[in-house]
Amino acid sequence: MSGLSLLLRAARAAFPAGARQLRTGGPRCAYAKELFLGKLWKEEVFPYPEISNEELEEINQFVGPVEKFFNEEVDSKKIDQDAKIPPETLKGLKSLGLFGMQIPEEYGGLGLSNTMYARLGEIISLDGSIAVTLAAHQAIGLKGILIAGTDEQKEKYLPKLASGEHVAAFCLTEPGSGSDAASIQTRATMSEDGKSFLLNGSKIWISNGGLADIFTVFARTEVVKDGVKTDKITAFIVERAFGGVTSGKPEDKLGIRGSNTCEVHFENTKVPVENVIGEVGGGFKVAMNILNSGRFSMGSASAGMIKKLIEMTAEYACTRKQFNKKLSDFGLIQEKFALMAQKAYVMESMAYLTAGMMDRPGVPDCSVEAAMVKVFSSEGAWICVSEALQILGGLGYMKDYPYERYLRDSRILLIFEGTNEILRMYIALTGMQYAGKILTGKIKEMKKGNISVAMEIFMNKFHDRMGRKVDLGLIGKGGVAHPSLDESSKKLEENVYYFGTTVEGLLRRFGKTIVDEQLVLKRVADVSINLYAMTAAISRASRSMSIGLRNHDHEVLLTNIFCTEAYFKNNYAMAELEKYAAENLDDSIKKVAQQVLEKRAYICSHPLDRTF
Amino acid sequence: MNCVRKLLLARELSARPGVLRQLAPGLDLLRLQGSSCAQRFWPVPVRSHSKFTPAVKGDQEKDGESRDGSLVPLEELFDRACKGERNKAAFTRAVELFCQRDVRRRGHIEFIYAALQKMPQFGVERELDVYNKILDVFPKEVFVPRNFIQRMFNHYPRQQECGIHVLEQMENYGIMPDNQTKFLLLQIFGAKSHPVRKYQRLMYWFPKFKHVNPYPVPVPLPQEPIDLARISLQRIAADLSAKVTVYQMPLTDILDSGKEITQPHIVGIQSPDQQELLAHHNPDRPVFVEGPFPLWLKKTCVYYYVLRGELLPPGEKGEMLDSERNFYYPMHLDLDLDRGPWDDEEFDVDEAEEGPIFAMCMAGAGDQATLAKWILGLQQNNPILSQTPVVFHLAPGPRELLAASDSEPGEEEIPQSRRAQQEC
Repeated sequence: MSGLSLLLRAARAAFPAGARQLRTGGPRCAYAKELFLGKLWKEEVFPYPEISNEELEEINQFVGPVEKFFNEEVDSKKIDQDAKIPPETLKGLKSLGLFGMQIPEEYGGLGLSNTMYARLGEIISLDGSIAVTLAAHQAIGLKGILIAGTDEQKEKYLPKLASGEHVAAFCLTEPGSGSDAASIQTRATMSEDGKSFLLNGSKIWISNGGLADIFTVFARTEVVKDGVKTDKITAFIVERAFGGVTSGKPEDKLGIRGSNTCEVHFENTKVPVENVIGEVGGGFKVAMNILNSGRFSMGSASAGMIKKLIEMTAEYACTRKQFNKKLSDFGLIQEKFALMAQKAYVMESMAYLTAGMMDRPGVPDCSVEAAMVKVFSSEGAWICVSEALQILGGLGYMKDYPYERYLRDSRILLIFEGTNEILRMYIALTGMQYAGKILTGKIKEMKKGNISVAMEIFMNKFHDRMGRKVDLGLIGKGGVAHPSLDESSKKLEENVYYFGTTVEGLLRRFGKTIVDEQLVLKRVADVSINLYAMTAAISRASRSMSIGLRNHDHEVLLTNIFCTEAYFKNNYAMAELEKYAAENLDDSIKKVAQQVLEKRAYICSHPLDRTF
Repeated sequence: MNCVRKLLLARELSARPGVLRQLAPGLDLLRLQGSSCAQRFWPVPVRSHSKFTPAVKGDQEKDGESRDGSLVPLEELFDRACKGERNKAAFTRAVELFCQRDVRRRGHIEFIYAALQKMPQFGVERELDVYNKILDVFPKEVFVPRNFIQRMFNHYPRQQECGIHVLEQMENYGIMPDNQTKFLLLQIFGAKSHPVRKYQRLMYWFPKFKHVNPYPVPVPLPQEPIDLARISLQRIAADLSAKVTVYQMPLTDILDSGKEITQPHIVGIQSPDQQELLAHHNPDRPVFVEGPFPLWLKKTCVYYYVLRGELLPPGEKGEMLDSERNFYYPMHLDLDLDRGPWDDEEFDVDEAEEGPIFAMCMAGAGDQATLAKWILGLQQNNPILSQTPVVFHLAPGPRELLAASDSEPGEEEIPQSRRAQQEC
């Protein structure tokens, strides 16, 4: 193990941070938000982000040993059965440096860029429990210190966290509080001398809660602002050594059973003032930033898992025979492989596009894109695992094989780090807010009865009706997409343009009350996720064609399949968005739900019931 | 129209004490034929001899009794069968008695009208098998039309009307006929006769109406005051998470000193939402106990009390959603655009705003002492109540209603007696 770690450290030394080549790009990262205006900001996403040869070599040096470790020394089945990651496995992970992947080298971490982190995530995801343990440690657990901590805090905590000597955990959820900041009950009260806080309260479902030594805890504190006392959320770094920290027994879970999840209680835990992350009362922003930054890696992780699944199921499908035919000769089985390949391709494209955008200089805000990646990849992973099980038939259902574990493990992806429903709201509302800011003036003019604006809108509509040729510059002269992707690019352009008009229509119809129209927002989110996914696939396939990567024709096939399907889905969703609630079934859906929830039961009479 | 008039007449006739003649005298037949209302319109040959006219009733009765002594008033049949207690068994006995008398079932129409009228007294007005038994009194197959002319005209109109009357009474009491009813009617009147049509109409509408009430009242209503209070409170609260608490069980005890102590029941209901509302109530403002308010459950009236607060002044109403509320997505957009008129699906309704209601209760007595015990019980889960002034604002109670219903014996009783209550 030490030999491995030596190798890694040597590799790290060979490529100091300064050597990492960073392309200069746009100062902001607003590709997804621009989609809501019907604009395709192609400079942001074309060409597909690349890393330099040196970086590639560096990352491959990391990948090799990690892959070897996961293949040879990680016994996923045992981890799942015992609901515990064995200490020697944890030690191996630590010596590989995987506990400090994104911690800068000056603090003893690997200092990986987002792209490299995503690459390693692909391999780590081969065991769900380990992936979640590592993610809870560094994607959220210590992220607070990393992005909002002071230099002293970083110096004090990061080195030990990077080496894995200390494990971090993120304590936000409470019995009465999921995403609602107002219902957080944990309280930190300032001591009389003003040097420390006393922390009291309980947190539930804390990943790594039993292992962790360092906790990022969010608690309510009293803040005096303009003479008025208000309660605000503050983030603290809490060491287990401060005393008064107890953790409950590990929860028994459906999947990711090896990861440690438990309650954590704080009882009069004395936290020095220096351990406040950010400022007192500024915990809300810290929490949001941490949550928003941790999501993009799920794309590559899911893709990694599906790629592995494809290998395993293809092996089975090509060897098992029925009716003297291989399973792989049946159309319905082939379809499932195509689906898995397509999903893996698209989520991989999205993940690395987002990671690439995040690696650009400046402080890019790619939270919407990251949320899109998370939603798309978690749902894709669930579908693919399910389809893989379908290929395997009864075999997939058996505990002797790893497939059912993949199914159980992948279910959590749709739930944690913000459920997909919540993220859809985030995606749609953030986009709506962005578009609304810009369109408000125009819409108000029209509503006031400004003839010229109204005429312009009318003429636009008329033009749309007569069959507009949408050209956003992806193809044709000065185009950035490869000509073999003409059809897909056209579809994307058309979708983007009409998405813009749809969003404008929605803003005109609902204004700021759109926050209450969750069914509308869900469709908006779905369309925008599809658009981003199409962009990522086209961009990546164009690059592969242009530089002649191996099997680039396969990529074009996958891209075209995906884009065509997504195009029709988008059109359907947008057609529904243009209708009123009575016509697009929203009213009926709400009514059904209302009636069911009123009785809190399925209310239809039994089919065997009689009235006489 | 004719039909209705005839029906009314028939009903009137049957309302008088019917007479049953063992031996058909036959002598008054012609006269009777002329005066029979139904046959005035439908001159059909009369096969049944059991006709009677109110005008000659007195004579006949005297005549009959003096002649053979076997003429028994129909009422007497019921009186004889019941032997003191009026119940289903007695009623069926009476019907059987009638059927056993005469193989031709003479006077069955009069008997049926009388029986229908007697039903509520015997408490069988909601018993389907009793109705079937009554229909069974009709002689079978005699009234079934046999040719197209009979079928065309109203064949045996009085019998058909009588059959309809039976079905109508079933309808009024909400009794759904069953297959036996159908077979009886088919056997008696034949397909496409008026009673069968009536049956078909009933069977069309009754199943449709059976579950039309989304808030059905349980049948029968529980007799225990606590159970009754429980379902009534749950009915008013209309919140499945509301919790019913019995604060005091009813108790009657005699002390050593001979003094009788009655402890009325107190049953309360409170939902978590109400609890939360109360927890956020400003203890400086009083809360009010008000009542009694009536709640009707079919024929039973119960009374409940509410604990409510005053309507809050606009400044103190609910906290605004602040921008730092949701970790994951914005709860409101910072836009200067309103909802357009086409998506505004809310009706323009003038709403009278009321203060919050924190809890409700039903008690065996409406005096302040009893209700204070309820408030005391509420304090366990609502500690704020011990710091909040509670004002009892009790109306004099349901005296008038009680008096009115007292004069109607046979109706279900008002379960709770109330004493007039002062306001403090």
